[in-house]
Amino acid sequence: MIDFDPIVTNQLATDLTQSRVEVSSSFQGAKVILYGATLQPDGPPPDVIVVVRGPETDLRLMRKVRKAGLWLNSRPMIFEGAPGFYMAASSRPLSEISRNEMRYHLGLGLDYMPMDIAAETAHQTDYADWRRAVVRLQQKNGLYSDNASGVRFIDRHLFRAEVELPSDAPIGTYTAEVWLFRNGLPVNYSVKPLTVEKVGFERFVYDFAHRHAWIYGLICVLMSMGMGLIASRLFRRR
Amino acid sequence: MELYLPIAEMSVNVWLMAGLGVGVGFLSGLFGVGGGFLMAPVLVTLGIPPSIAVASQAGHVLATSTSSVSSYRRQDSVDFRMGLMMAAGGVVGAGMGVEIFRILRLMGQIDLMISVIYLVFLCGIGGLMARESLTSLLRRKKGLPPVRPKLKRPPWLYALPFKMRFPRSGLYISVIPPLFIGFIVGILAALMGVGGGFLIVPAMIYILRMKASVVVGTSLFQVIITATVTMILQAVRNHTVDAVLAFLLLIGGVIGGQLGIRFGTRFRADELRLVLALIILTAGLQMGLTLFIPPEDPFVLIRPGG
Repeated sequence: MIDFDPIVTNQLATDLTQSRVEVSSSFQGAKVILYGATLQPDGPPPDVIVVVRGPETDLRLMRKVRKAGLWLNSRPMIFEGAPGFYMAASSRPLSEISRNEMRYHLGLGLDYMPMDIAAETAHQTDYADWRRAVVRLQQKNGLYSDNASGVRFIDRHLFRAEVELPSDAPIGTYTAEVWLFRNGLPVNYSVKPLTVEKVGFERFVYDFAHRHAWIYGLICVLMSMGMGLIASRLFRRR
Repeated sequence: MELYLPIAEMSVNVWLMAGLGVGVGFLSGLFGVGGGFLMAPVLVTLGIPPSIAVASQAGHVLATSTSSVSSYRRQDSVDFRMGLMMAAGGVVGAGMGVEIFRILRLMGQIDLMISVIYLVFLCGIGGLMARESLTSLLRRKKGLPPVRPKLKRPPWLYALPFKMRFPRSGLYISVIPPLFIGFIVGILAALMGVGGGFLIVPAMIYILRMKASVVVGTSLFQVIITATVTMILQAVRNHTVDAVLAFLLLIGGVIGGQLGIRFGTRFRADELRLVLALIILTAGLQMGLTLFIPPEDPFVLIRPGG
């Protein structure tokens, strides 16, 4: 997508401490650390932007509006293909690293994260307000974040960034992008996949509920009734 | 202790969920209501997506009402025939309600409708019940004989065709009113995402004038059928039943339910009705007030599954 100038290209190697996060019954969120090494021929270390994107989801946003004295929900605006998780970490504030146009072009940072609205709701004129609201509410949920000091250099060549996944982080495939910038221009790029998946009992229940929905529903009903009967027996004996 | 829910895809505190189950179960054992109208809002406040909250709490409702009905049955205070009649109407009504829900959602008016229905029905029924039980309570305190002005049931109950004997309830009436009440309750229950016990109980007391001793048991029997249908349909059509969440809630629920039944025998019927009335009123006002109070945050975000 970008042609790097071979003369200024700096070498870059990155890796995650875990490329697979297992979600089991005791899952309460996870912390994955991204390490990166850069070999620059001379001069100061480059600027680094790390962007972790979760699987795309549809988000619906409604606004409360006052109509005839009542506070009612407006029709929802549907954001298609919004990331279920988004983290942007950088070695210094994004606005100091490069110009807005460049970050818009590359979709870097919460302000320029790609997020489409459904065609049927695209007529809204105050689109920017709605978009800001999505970002703000997802930040409150701990799913979106923007950290201008999230990338720390351990020495001149080695840097790290922490990725905090909350317990309700979406299941699916994430990507961890690392961008190197020099003088406001991208000089190298790397991407690593990160998988968040259910394992063991959690996975079994989820798969069963989707593959054998009738049996699953029936089992839930029988379990509920059975527990009710057992309880009433136990209490009667006392 | 935190536990990850496989369908809701988030972790919850085990004790908090079981405790919520105990609390709501206690009320349902005491009053003969499923408790869905209380539990769903609490679950949503705790961050569970609404569709998963409504579908999974059906397990709790099912367990507590099964447990309670089996206790009431031993006291011979369940009118199975009446319960089946209402449930038959209820299942048809619920199917209709789901369809209305879909149409309203397409029109974008579903939230307004739900708020208004909650406001009107919870406040209306709560208000009527509070007035009635307060009157009878005050009269008793003053040493006056209890009022029985309308011992005679409304004549139209008898004028309709297809009469049937309901010996447990002490009724010989047409099957149309129970079927119709079940139908209306089914529609509302589907729209509000609840079992409808809090609508059935007053209908049995104030419209059908069933024998008071069978009202709670019969209402809960009807709730069992509604909750079973809800749970299976939600599991099949929407995949929104979280078995782990349902299990946590119902473990607390069955214990609370049994405690509620024991506790209930210590109180007079009018006192219990007054308390239930106040709870229903509070829930209705709470829901209705959101229509009038300026929201803290004008935007509401709904994540998938919500």
